Amino acid sequence: MKNSQDPVWRFLLPSFVFVLLFSLYPILDSFRLSLYRMILTLPWLGQKFVGWENYRDLATDPVALGSLATSMIFVAVTTPIEVLLGLAMALVLNESFRGRGWLRAVVLVPWAVPTVVSSQMWRFIFNDRYGLFNYLLFGDATDRYWAPLAEPGLALMSIMVADIWKTSSFAALIILAGLQVIPRELYEAASVDGATAWQKFRHITLPLIKPALLLALLFRTIDALKVFDLVFVMTQGGPADTTNVLQFYGYKKIFAEGMIGYGSAIAVVVFLISLLLSIFYIRLLGSGLLAKERRT
Amino acid sequence: MKIVLALFIALWLGTEPAAPAELRFVTWQPDTAWVWDQAIAEFEARHRGVKVVREVGPHSSTEFHDLVTQKLRNRDTEMDVFFMDVIWPAEFGAAGWALPLDQFFPVAERQSFLAAPINANSYDGRIYGVPVFIDAGMLYYRKDLLDKYDLPPPRTWPELVGQAKLVLSRERDPYLIGYSAQFKQYEGLVCNMMEFIMSNGATLWNEQTLRSTLNDAKAKEAVRFVRDQVIGAISHRGVLAYQEPESLALFTQGKAIFHRNWPYAWEAANDPQRSKVAGKVGILPLPAFHGQKSVATLGGWQLGISRFSRNPQLAWQFVEHMTSNEMQKRIALYTGRGPARKALYRDPEILKKNPQFESQYETFVLAAPRPRTPVYLPLSNIMQRYFSSAIAIRDSDIDRLAGSASREMDRVLDLLRGRSQP
Repeated sequence: MKNSQDPVWRFLLPSFVFVLLFSLYPILDSFRLSLYRMILTLPWLGQKFVGWENYRDLATDPVALGSLATSMIFVAVTTPIEVLLGLAMALVLNESFRGRGWLRAVVLVPWAVPTVVSSQMWRFIFNDRYGLFNYLLFGDATDRYWAPLAEPGLALMSIMVADIWKTSSFAALIILAGLQVIPRELYEAASVDGATAWQKFRHITLPLIKPALLLALLFRTIDALKVFDLVFVMTQGGPADTTNVLQFYGYKKIFAEGMIGYGSAIAVVVFLISLLLSIFYIRLLGSGLLAKERRT
Repeated sequence: MKIVLALFIALWLGTEPAAPAELRFVTWQPDTAWVWDQAIAEFEARHRGVKVVREVGPHSSTEFHDLVTQKLRNRDTEMDVFFMDVIWPAEFGAAGWALPLDQFFPVAERQSFLAAPINANSYDGRIYGVPVFIDAGMLYYRKDLLDKYDLPPPRTWPELVGQAKLVLSRERDPYLIGYSAQFKQYEGLVCNMMEFIMSNGATLWNEQTLRSTLNDAKAKEAVRFVRDQVIGAISHRGVLAYQEPESLALFTQGKAIFHRNWPYAWEAANDPQRSKVAGKVGILPLPAFHGQKSVATLGGWQLGISRFSRNPQLAWQFVEHMTSNEMQKRIALYTGRGPARKALYRDPEILKKNPQFESQYETFVLAAPRPRTPVYLPLSNIMQRYFSSAIAIRDSDIDRLAGSASREMDRVLDLLRGRSQP
């Protein structure tokens, strides 16, 4: 029986209002703006309702389509690597050994560094003259030095490396949490039955951390889709526009060029893609959870 | 609840300007900070009770633009005075963000400034900023290396490339490159490429017909020259990620024969503390292609007043102080920036310290502006993409890239039609 007297609703109300105000309202307002032609630097054009025109333009804008492809490649490459590396780190950190607490803290350092700072650091590492990257590869043979951030074929990869370095530990954190709730007895029972380490991993660990893995994948996918600061600091979209991810393109449209309507349309598209991906993952996740409930 | 409300009101009242004379100045971190600190202290001393609060933004033009326009979009009444890059006054004027300064800055007073920056600050018959200093692209070169091989300072781009190749082959230094400039995909790329294109007798756009001219044969020829003769030929490909600081560092470390930069690089390149080539540096107008004139891109910074400022009168007094003869002289003397006031190019003290200002006066006077239009930023982003793709990809299809960039620019320029152009 639910009515307004039910305390549950009163407890939920604050977070509901919060979500409404800070998530739903901006999304709806972006959507509204995306249906207008509104250019801040040309105020005499006014705010004209144009329906789906911005979306139609977007569908035929080669730069936007290129950006979308760049974003998708970025997501497709970085997220699986980050989750796999995260899994490996989590498995190591879940073992008991001397200095584990210390190592756990250290692993989190890349994630704790603000992205703007780590982007700047990677920009120096990839510098064509005094970067550590070149020194490690070629030592004193300076005539062979590469300029990863200047090469259209390497710049996106360099940004991916910086992203993987930074966020794998975040995936590790989530997966580690999943590992820690697995009861010890399961492994002990498996040992008694003579299971190998691989069998234990394959039949105990992996099924039980599936929700954590999917959660890590979900978070990383959405974050990778919205990558912005790495591009902003390291390349500004260049060279030859090869690192111009969709989120950066949208930012430039709104903040540099003042094209509020068109930029909002890009923002809405980024939102819709993350929404679809989230629904997809949550359904995977949900079915896993439901299956578990049925068993108990 | 009542307590919260009361607190809110108290806070709100508390943030009202207690002293009426607080002036918020949005600036970037200057290289020679004491010059600016001193000027502001003098202003505060002259106007008792006035406090100038500085808000320091990023030094990059693009990032600074985002900061200032965000405040203007939000009609922020806190900001009074701000720096403007030379490409913004048309945009800020059209958008109704910058206060027209005609009542404060009469035409007679404008006469004492160079014409190029005054034009850049004018839009639609009004003026929106006062120039503090001006910039123009210059060619720096290693006098010692050219002398060593008995080479005259280059007058044309092919000559520069030939000399660079000769010196590189004789010096056999793997660190040394021929030409260091700004070829990263950002605003500076437009400045650099515009100099190549215009010194080949072409342009970026036609101001009258509002049409892009990037697809003209001469314009494409210049772009092709940069791709084939400069990048990967006399420069290493790292320059494709260089902005001003990286390209200058290479030159001051003695690792570049030729270097394109703004006038401030003279000061930096000849300071023995910071430069290994102090005293070995020559300065010239940028080269041109055969039979054409050298072209330097006009740069520089102005002070503007926010239309939402609560205290435009005081803001103007501050702008007037910061752009005074005395102040521009100090900026020229201690930071090596080109003054915007004409008379200072005949000032003996300045010429003694910066003798190049006399020979470069014509470069400053003739410096070419980037397109003066409220849609400059969209145009610039299109050009940045085009130039970077054309020069960074070894076998780029310049005809196709130029065609599509030019069509994209035309679409943006179409937005200006139906409104009389100033």
